[in-house]
Amino acid sequence: MRALLWRALCREPRQLVRICLWSVLEAAPAFLIGLAVARAIEDGFAAGRPEIGLVWLAALGAAWAVAAVAARQIVLAVAAVAEPFRDDLLAHVVGGAVRRAAAASGARQDSAAVTRAGLQVELARDAFAAVVTTVRGFAFTVLSVALGLLTLAPGAAALVLPPFAAGLVLFLASLPLLARRQRAFLLADERLAEAMTAMAGGLRDIVACGAEDRQSARMAAHVDDQASAARALARATAVRTAALGVGGWLPVVLVLAGTPWLLSGGAGAGVVVGALTYVAQSLAPALGGLVHGLGVSGVQLAATLERITAVPPSPPPPVRCRPASAEVRLHEVTFAYGRWSAPVVDGLSLCVPEGEHLAVVGPSGAGKSTLAAMISGLLRPDAGQVLIGGVPADQAEHAARVLVPQEAYVFRGTLRENLAYLLTPPDGRAEGDDRPDGAEPSQSELEAVADALGAADLVAAVGGYDARLDPGALSAGQRQLIALVRAYLSPARLVILDEATCHLDPAAEARVEHAFAARGGTLVVVAHRITSARRAGRILLMDGGRVQAGVHDELVRTASLYADLVGHWQSEPVS
Amino acid sequence: MLAGDRLVMHAVRRNAPWTAILAATAVGGAAAELALPYMAGRTVDAFVVADPAAVRWLAGCAAVVACVVLCESLGMWAGGVTGARAAARLRLGMLRHVLGVGPAVTRRFPEGELVTRAGLNAEEVARAPESVTGALALLVPTAGALVALTLIAPVLTLTLLAGIVLILIVLNTFLRATTTIAGGYQEAQGELAAGLVEALGGARTIAAAGTEDREVLRVLRPLPRLRLHGMRLWRANATAGVRAGLVVPLVEVAVLAVGGFMLAAGDLTVGELYAAARYAVLGAALSGALGPIGGLARARAAAGRMAEVLAVPRTRHGSRALPSGTGAMEFRDVTAAGLTVPRLVIPGGSLTAVVGRSGSGKSLLAALAARMADPDRGTVLLDGIPLPELTGPELRRAVGCAFERPVLVGDTLADAITLGRPTPDDAVLNGGPDGGPDGVLDAVTVAARADGFVRRLPHGYATRTMDAPLSGGERQRLGLARAFAQGERLLVLDDATSSLDTVTEREIGRALADGPGGRTRLVVAHRLATAAQADQVVWLEDGAVRGQGPHRELWRDPAYRAVFQGEEP
Repeated sequence: MRALLWRALCREPRQLVRICLWSVLEAAPAFLIGLAVARAIEDGFAAGRPEIGLVWLAALGAAWAVAAVAARQIVLAVAAVAEPFRDDLLAHVVGGAVRRAAAASGARQDSAAVTRAGLQVELARDAFAAVVTTVRGFAFTVLSVALGLLTLAPGAAALVLPPFAAGLVLFLASLPLLARRQRAFLLADERLAEAMTAMAGGLRDIVACGAEDRQSARMAAHVDDQASAARALARATAVRTAALGVGGWLPVVLVLAGTPWLLSGGAGAGVVVGALTYVAQSLAPALGGLVHGLGVSGVQLAATLERITAVPPSPPPPVRCRPASAEVRLHEVTFAYGRWSAPVVDGLSLCVPEGEHLAVVGPSGAGKSTLAAMISGLLRPDAGQVLIGGVPADQAEHAARVLVPQEAYVFRGTLRENLAYLLTPPDGRAEGDDRPDGAEPSQSELEAVADALGAADLVAAVGGYDARLDPGALSAGQRQLIALVRAYLSPARLVILDEATCHLDPAAEARVEHAFAARGGTLVVVAHRITSARRAGRILLMDGGRVQAGVHDELVRTASLYADLVGHWQSEPVS
Repeated sequence: MLAGDRLVMHAVRRNAPWTAILAATAVGGAAAELALPYMAGRTVDAFVVADPAAVRWLAGCAAVVACVVLCESLGMWAGGVTGARAAARLRLGMLRHVLGVGPAVTRRFPEGELVTRAGLNAEEVARAPESVTGALALLVPTAGALVALTLIAPVLTLTLLAGIVLILIVLNTFLRATTTIAGGYQEAQGELAAGLVEALGGARTIAAAGTEDREVLRVLRPLPRLRLHGMRLWRANATAGVRAGLVVPLVEVAVLAVGGFMLAAGDLTVGELYAAARYAVLGAALSGALGPIGGLARARAAAGRMAEVLAVPRTRHGSRALPSGTGAMEFRDVTAAGLTVPRLVIPGGSLTAVVGRSGSGKSLLAALAARMADPDRGTVLLDGIPLPELTGPELRRAVGCAFERPVLVGDTLADAITLGRPTPDDAVLNGGPDGGPDGVLDAVTVAARADGFVRRLPHGYATRTMDAPLSGGERQRLGLARAFAQGERLLVLDDATSSLDTVTEREIGRALADGPGGRTRLVVAHRLATAAQADQVVWLEDGAVRGQGPHRELWRDPAYRAVFQGEEP
């Protein structure tokens, strides 16, 4: 977290210098204001020489004008530091989210959490800019006022600066308490939001169980916790405000009380007014700014940065190599999702020789997608081995196999970019190729494949290969078809379709599966419709750790579940 | 008065004492701040002429300063407390209402929307008192400064007024400028977020292709545009800041210059000139008054959004109890959202399977039977009593539901399983240590075949729900156990065994049939075996009952067989 801040501050030393130089000009009125008012009165208006007074006031006005321009430059310079900081944070959040999602592929992703993180990045940027601006402003203003007071009347400085320093110390001392309370509040607020989200998500179940009253009591406890954290924060804020009062207002009283002493020291009434003006117009607002900058923005910055950067590092990617063939071999493979869960796949051994077309069927939750993920190398078995052409599946190069999951991935870009997605292997990119999506297939190749998979109408419907796609505007079936054409175009010799055709109608599904079967290489289809099984050379039936492989006619006779799935009902119980 | 405004008024009224303190500190603080320049000026003047009253003026100044500091601190505290209390009350009221309405509310307001309304919006409404007093605290010095300045010298007031007009003009141009430019920034932000959500949705594809790095670059592609628009926003801000930052000091300098000549002419004392300069600055504080007013507008808008949720009527329950019976169900002329059931009788203690293609209305039928939804017309009866006439607890004690994707509510697994029990009585539930023999908890988990994996967990039934790693099938079994623990007469299982293997499913079915009392079971299912075992099958198609009777008889119809064979019609 510190490193992130430090890098943001030090990356642009030129901007820092720019900020400091303009700050000197911006602080000019803070130096001049009391002096100008005092002199304008003492030497000008009160002395019967208003032209002198006007000159001083004109000088003050000019200083303000310069300060306003300087303030603009400072905002821009701070922005030039804060914007790259925002970019850093966004890259951090996006990189973390994408890599985590890919590493936990299959697990449901909380996209709301990602949106929240995005919001926090904006908060962090604003807080960062606010902290830089106010701390800097405070330092320059205090310095200028101190110089101004010493120039005007050292005695007044003695009256103003000590209580001001006391207020500052009081505030800084209250800062840790404030930060703790703020943090406690944020946490309570977050727990409340989680509880409310859980309640909204479980509303059906709560009502079905008649547990409305019990739930309402639980929510009341969360709401109360959050409210009492808010009240505790309000108390700390009140203390902070009192510190502001001591530092900002006590000097006014002291200067007034010391007026006889200042007057007896030869100062005029104008000097007293000048000193008061310093306090009221420069010192108090600067302290107020610092209190807000550190007390609100600073605490917020720390809290949000902590949240954003609290991301565990991802393990290094394995070294990948090229399998000798597209044969899939499973040996005594076992996989369970939790340490205490029953295994989803239990001691499965299977060989799919290169060129075979295997269909995997079974009820939902039987482990079909888990099997697909292990063959693709996305999941590593707890025990046993999954080999592609002799290479462990999670170490086989990406281009050796292609997985098309149920939720087709289509991104904003042209149709051509989407289709060519798998043509550039991520592990070895061609030199000098800085296009994100790499090589492109020839037009005739594209057309032939689109035709084979029945996607020609889709291509026409979206407006050709160079039309930009809006994934949200496509139907689920259209997205699946795009993902299927993309997979067909890839160089992979092993294709795994994990319910990849579930949004297509049966005829389109048949066309796709026939095309993939004719493509050559090994084809593993996790079947959504049982009709997929009939097209396969061999069928793997999965049912709660029990697995049976065979051809259709054989399974209909021997496996009651399979008979059940294909709608062959035997009136006699099978068990 | 709009419902939203009533909500705001209510929030203010319910918090009367704290709101009063807030208002008092705001007005008191503002008044003291207003008095200070005059009194400070008089103090200086009195000291200059060695007037003995000077000490009294000084004491007055000290008292006023103490008042300012006290009011500010107290106001901060009162503001925080009012906000926290009002937010808590509004929020809890809304959450209770949502619970009273039931799942029907999520049809109009998605989950995230409900959370926003009960969370952020409640917070915004609760800030209404602070916004009102905040505006007041800024209006008092502004108006007061004008009066004070006029008392000192009317010419100075004219000078100040000219300045304030200038400030308002500046602010107007500023506000218009930001809203137009912010659009481009938000667009780039939206594009980035959309790209990220897309990439997360395609996580499996990305992981399999190994293109994580490429995807990060793609999602971040709008960054340069974001920065461009961001810098434009900063520039607009900075430019408006120049204008606003100039006006206040220039007003002051102008007042000082005009006042200086009056001082030279002997019409003003030095102290009065100081006071006048301070009043000029205070008067210019009007620029900040727009913030709290904006807050009030936000509070009203937020209150409107909360009122929309509160306007959804709660589910009403009756006052009757069930007569003794076996859990017989009857649908009479029921119509609901595309489902029509003229007459359907489900004998007590029987197993009824509901089959049909997806979208045929199976889940709706199940929801109507369990009163998870009410029909538009017609009546659903349990043992002869229309469901809405039952008291809430009576209804839920009689009917248990299990779902395809149950959500487990409760801190521990034991809590989650016994959620439907009227009172969580440890002795009844557990029988002995760790849900030992004869406990309800034990009985239902055994019946749902959930006892095995729960026992394997390190803390058994005491495992925290959020820490328990559960597969879809395990979750379904806990959902079944929960329903078994609850429904004394009727169990409605909506695809609740879809993730179970066939053996487990059959075991659970048998445990249910053999259980004491033989509860009525209404089972929505896709599997042939379930339909074959049922006493009767209700076959739905396009929101109507296409057939009803034993599976054996329906099976003769090829269209019925097609339901199970996965072919499109």
